[in-house]
Amino acid sequence: MSEMKKNKLVDLTDTGFTEEELFSHVDHSVFISEKITAPRYSYWHSVFRVFFKRKLNIVILFLLAVIIVFTYVYPALTHYDPYEYLMDPTNKHLSPADAMEKNGRELKWILGSGGAGESTFDAVWNGARISISLALICAAINMTIGIIIGAIWGFSKRVDVFMLEVYNIIGNVPYILFISVLIMILTASFWTMVLAMTLTGWLFIAYFIRTQVIIIRDREYNMASRCLGTSTFKIAMKNILPFMTSVIVTLLATEIPSYISYEVFLAYIGMGLQELSLGRLIYQAEPAMVTPGWEFEFWSPVAISAIITVVLFVAGQNLGDASDPRTHM
Amino acid sequence: MTKYILKRLLHGIFSIVIVILIVMMLIFGLMNRQLIFAQDPVFNKMTGNQETVYKYNRWKEYGYLDYVPYAEYLQSLLDEGKIDENTHKKAVKIGANPKKDSELAKQYIDEFTKLYESKGFKVIRIDAPDTGRRIQRSGNAILFATRDKPLFHRLYTYFARLISIDNIHYAKEDIEDRGLTFTWHDPYYQDGRFAPAVMGNGTQYKYLLYVNNEFPYIHQNLITINLGRSFVVNRGVDVFTTMTKSQGTLAPRTVTYPTGLTERSADDLHSATYQPRSREASRINVERFDDDYTVVNTFKAGKSKLGYSFIIGIIATAIAYGLGIPIGIAMARHKDGLFDKISTVYIVFIIAVPSLAYIFLFKALGGKLLKLPTTFDMDSDNLKMYFLPIISLALPSIANLMKWTRRYMIDQMNSDYVKFARAEGFSESQIFRKHVLKNAIIPITHGIPGSILFAMTGAIITERVYVVPGAGNLLTTAINAYDNYVIVGVTLFYATLSVVSLIMGDILMSLVDPRITYTKKAR
Repeated sequence: MSEMKKNKLVDLTDTGFTEEELFSHVDHSVFISEKITAPRYSYWHSVFRVFFKRKLNIVILFLLAVIIVFTYVYPALTHYDPYEYLMDPTNKHLSPADAMEKNGRELKWILGSGGAGESTFDAVWNGARISISLALICAAINMTIGIIIGAIWGFSKRVDVFMLEVYNIIGNVPYILFISVLIMILTASFWTMVLAMTLTGWLFIAYFIRTQVIIIRDREYNMASRCLGTSTFKIAMKNILPFMTSVIVTLLATEIPSYISYEVFLAYIGMGLQELSLGRLIYQAEPAMVTPGWEFEFWSPVAISAIITVVLFVAGQNLGDASDPRTHM
Repeated sequence: MTKYILKRLLHGIFSIVIVILIVMMLIFGLMNRQLIFAQDPVFNKMTGNQETVYKYNRWKEYGYLDYVPYAEYLQSLLDEGKIDENTHKKAVKIGANPKKDSELAKQYIDEFTKLYESKGFKVIRIDAPDTGRRIQRSGNAILFATRDKPLFHRLYTYFARLISIDNIHYAKEDIEDRGLTFTWHDPYYQDGRFAPAVMGNGTQYKYLLYVNNEFPYIHQNLITINLGRSFVVNRGVDVFTTMTKSQGTLAPRTVTYPTGLTERSADDLHSATYQPRSREASRINVERFDDDYTVVNTFKAGKSKLGYSFIIGIIATAIAYGLGIPIGIAMARHKDGLFDKISTVYIVFIIAVPSLAYIFLFKALGGKLLKLPTTFDMDSDNLKMYFLPIISLALPSIANLMKWTRRYMIDQMNSDYVKFARAEGFSESQIFRKHVLKNAIIPITHGIPGSILFAMTGAIITERVYVVPGAGNLLTTAINAYDNYVIVGVTLFYATLSVVSLIMGDILMSLVDPRITYTKKAR
């Protein structure tokens, strides 16, 4: 057969083989006929493939890792005490250069020292630990309640009428009022703040989810699913929730930084935590902004809070983009 | 359409009432009422029973509770003629403790207790401090009945008092010729120029309607809005007045008083209100006025709180719409181009970074590099001081508008009618201007009335950072000072603005897009 050329019709009788020798009967295989020839698709695998394809995301993840190390590991190792240098008047309000000259070239003096002689660097990361923890806990609570209620809200027309009314009313009560009343009744502690931020905060997430659910709820594939007798719960869990993953991740990406910002805002207007969170540091250091030589005390917490929120936001946004199945092609 | 708007308005009023109910529940029910005295200098000087009496009087005044002292009860009996002067004189004296009461006093105290306990009051008696013969500064024994004001009663009185219309029966005293007079020549202007005015006698205000050369030229005192009286922030003054009254240093001018006396003074005679027997009390008033309308406001050099907030807010809003929408359009037009990417970085910066951080950044940059004034000074004519607050307010709104305009434009660009227009051979710029933009701008218009109205409320952080004497800080100041009716009043103001702006937004959207109608027939 070596002399045979491609694309040329060959008379089989010329080869000198019988038909039995040339052809064999292949049985129909049930197993192989079920196999899909498209490349294997795994959702989360694709999410990470798309996510890591962008170089920027690797940088962002690295920064995120650095932030997590400094907020959670570093304070645990150094045992920050704001009043450690209180009795040393020569250690107060030092610029980074002076502080390092006085106390040795250590990481903790890289941003100078504050009004009580404490290391600004340590103070900022200790504050970041409180602020980020607050944001994470509030986001977890608000997102969980918001998504569950939002899903019910979107599905039931009767709930919709009632909840819209609630939303219109609660939305008009100033948010700071809830927070300040709660802080006044209880104390301005960490958990009071969590309670205050989650008391009505879920409502806005639920409203957002409700709108998304309504958009997807009446699509044709869900109509078909309903006609086939799928229960509403199963439609919600299997048909709609996967569709919403990217929306939820994107929402989370805006929520977490927004809690940090809000905490900073509350502290600045004097209604924040008693603990030395980022917001409280900024509030306390505000006079230092205009004092020549003290600027580091003020700008360090401001800059670090900005970096943290930007990193969290960009990481979340890009993860949200990557978790949208339409980007997996 | 009118029916629909009326329905929406009614619905809005209902939600406003519920909002006020919730706010009242929060601040009157849950907050410690002792805290309103935290910054009261009078209260802090008092001790013992005197302090208690003062406390209850203030609580009554500020609507927390009903409070009837025993003496007031006896006075009402006397006024009704049920007891004579002599009995009143004897009965009103209560002993340092119940054992020292006279028989007569005991009898009336029993009646008092019985009457008010049946009405749901609690009768409280506090004995005089017993320290021998010395007279105590902390006062005598006291006896009174008190009860918390029921929530719905409080809500009702609040809304009933909200709008008051001046009438000729305001003055309780004997006044000759009560009534309204209309004049073409306002006596305020001595030269007899043409200036129509409606003046009242027996009313609270002397001038009910008048014109002058200040915006909005026609002024009225007929209808007064009472949002709630302040206790701490601006003692005794209504929130609405606090927000709308001009501030700053006095601005004297030559004023001719009704008696013909001419002086340099800042008195605004148009604001004269009635004060009974005020000319008997002061010789200055006799020299100046020929009737008892002697209480006047003063002209101030600065603007009102609302005025400052609104000027800054409205310019910032105008800049935001003027820049945000064109930039958003350009971003959508060159999607994924360099301009789009740079602008996206800016949007991310504004969304993610705490607003406090970038406002401080603008302040530092503007102050250091551009040498702009970073604090606001009411007495200065320097218009540059408006620059930084306006920029700080405008930049975030620009980012927000950029984001949404880009989003809506890109959503529209994928729709079928755009493909069809392209297939018909329209140029890209034609498609953009005539098709995509017109559709994409519709949801943006919905927010315009809201942005304009909410320019009045001011911005908390911006005003604090640049020390602007605006309305933005009123709510937080009131909360920090436990000034409850100010909180209620400001909330009502915000809620009304939000309801009105939503309705106006819907109407504007239906004007821009004829496909949107709110009447059932058209559907």
